[in-house]
Amino acid sequence: MRLPRTIQDMRTIKMLLTAAETEAQQSGDNLPGPEHLLLAAFDLPDGTARRAFERAGTDPAGFRAAVDEAHQQAMHDIGVHVASAGLPLPAAAPAGGIYRLTAPGQEVFQAAVQLAKAGRRSPLRGAHVVAAVADQERGTVARALKTLGVDRGALSAAAGEVLTGR
Amino acid sequence: MVEVPPPEDPEAALAAVVALRRLANQLERAAVDHALRQGWTWAHIGQALGISAQAAHKKLAQKIAQEKDET
Repeated sequence: MRLPRTIQDMRTIKMLLTAAETEAQQSGDNLPGPEHLLLAAFDLPDGTARRAFERAGTDPAGFRAAVDEAHQQAMHDIGVHVASAGLPLPAAAPAGGIYRLTAPGQEVFQAAVQLAKAGRRSPLRGAHVVAAVADQERGTVARALKTLGVDRGALSAAAGEVLTGR
Repeated sequence: MVEVPPPEDPEAALAAVVALRRLANQLERAAVDHALRQGWTWAHIGQALGISAQAAHKKLAQKIAQEKDET
């Protein structure tokens, strides 16, 4: 059965925001931001976020490590050396479903929804999130992409190509 | 020794702020989890963190899946 687009979108949004909240909890961040939305987008069943990364020439599986590396590097730059990349954190409580985001997280989420609305008959998909985060000039995602050697413009173009099936 | 980045490089300084906040959050969560396991009260955790017991509980209780609460 083909679900109407709005219901499909609501399901996608719920999956995306719940997974982003879990990602934030697991990494010790207070609220989900763009990097958590992107990690959540990789797990969406449509697979377009992963395909966009692959099309841009990088393995999406490396993004999480790139975020950690970007944070390590930022601390290293001011002379703070942390032996392990991430403390062994206690298990986080399950995501509460309040769906709060950081301000940049909200920007990315809203931009992704707008991009989906602008696309003809296109429900919200992971590559919309990729395109939205690729537009952010500064912040953790931009730094992690730099660590991966991924050009933001190329990633945005790859997301567009995946979405239009080119 | 921590070197404060020169003000002409705000990118590095701001990225370090974000990374240090994240590290502080991780350290806080791990330490509070250990404290609870060792029988600390939220009042003592609050005192140690320089906040009220209520603030400590509100901020952290939800973030730590406490087995003891489930039993």
